[in-house]
Amino acid sequence: MKMDMDMDVNIKKNYPSYVRGREIKAEDIEEGRVSYNLHKPNIIYSFTAGQAISKFLNGLKEGKLLATECYSCNRTLFPPRIFCEVCFRPIDKWCEVKDSGVVETFSISYIDPDAKPLEKPIIVAVISIDGASPKMGIMHILGEVEPEDVYIGMRVRAVWKPESEREGSITDIMYWKPAEGD
Amino acid sequence: MTFNEKIVNVRELKHVEGKIELYWIYTSGEAGDKFFKALKDEGKFLASKCSYCGKTYFPPRIYCEYDFSETEFIEISGEGRVRAFAVATLDSYEKPLENPEIYAIIDLDDTDGCIVHLLGEVEIKEVFIGMRVKPVLKPKEDREGRITDILYFKPS
Repeated sequence: MKMDMDMDVNIKKNYPSYVRGREIKAEDIEEGRVSYNLHKPNIIYSFTAGQAISKFLNGLKEGKLLATECYSCNRTLFPPRIFCEVCFRPIDKWCEVKDSGVVETFSISYIDPDAKPLEKPIIVAVISIDGASPKMGIMHILGEVEPEDVYIGMRVRAVWKPESEREGSITDIMYWKPAEGD
Repeated sequence: MTFNEKIVNVRELKHVEGKIELYWIYTSGEAGDKFFKALKDEGKFLASKCSYCGKTYFPPRIYCEYDFSETEFIEISGEGRVRAFAVATLDSYEKPLENPEIYAIIDLDDTDGCIVHLLGEVEIKEVFIGMRVKPVLKPKEDREGRITDILYFKPS
């Protein structure tokens, strides 16, 4: 360690000034002490949902959770796909699954997507949906429950927005609440 | 899935719009900083000359790329000759421009470097390779230490 430091000093001594460089601090930029260019590209995108997810999202508007079935492997795919990825063939049928399920895994988040602290932590969970094949489900948030009371295997039920406020988005389900004994 | 189960009305197909927030700051560096400050405060053009081989850099560099010697800053006139030019009739979004812009590579006097900038106060038909040009700067109070402090180069 000592040797490394000595070498560092030697490099600084023997080389011309320009090798050393100059450190710039945030204040130098803010107060305009150094010249700079600020680039702010306008990066916008549009993500198309495709056939299956579009139909699924439109179903949410009516309070339905739509899934698809493959007769070859007898699986119920949720969220729906139009192509079975196991059998490599188109799906056979659209069907409806229940708006209840089981917490497969969960995580408690104390920060928002911008890494700002949240006043109240949100509980993000992967929920296996009743009526779909095992381990098929969606990621959503849990509500009406304290973080310390959540456990894997907890039964939950969807809490929907009023029908008039639904817009065909995954947020048409506000959250999932515990449904013990339902 | 049968054909009539497919969504054919495009308005029923969903999409999600998003925006990626991103920005960055590109500093001009030691030599670029000196250059832009001289341009902003004094309206001067700086180049840098290698103290060993005499090569003159524009835009200025803090050391010579050929022999790694230190350079010294020198003042130049900013005048030069058109090496090459192109006429832009579309803007960067490919929308037609009302007044086409002339972009030129200009070899600056007393340097081995060049600058890419706009030509102004000249008709497209009158531009030729080798044309003498001189810079037109923004009024001092409008300058902000950027390359756009030079409005354009005009024939001299």
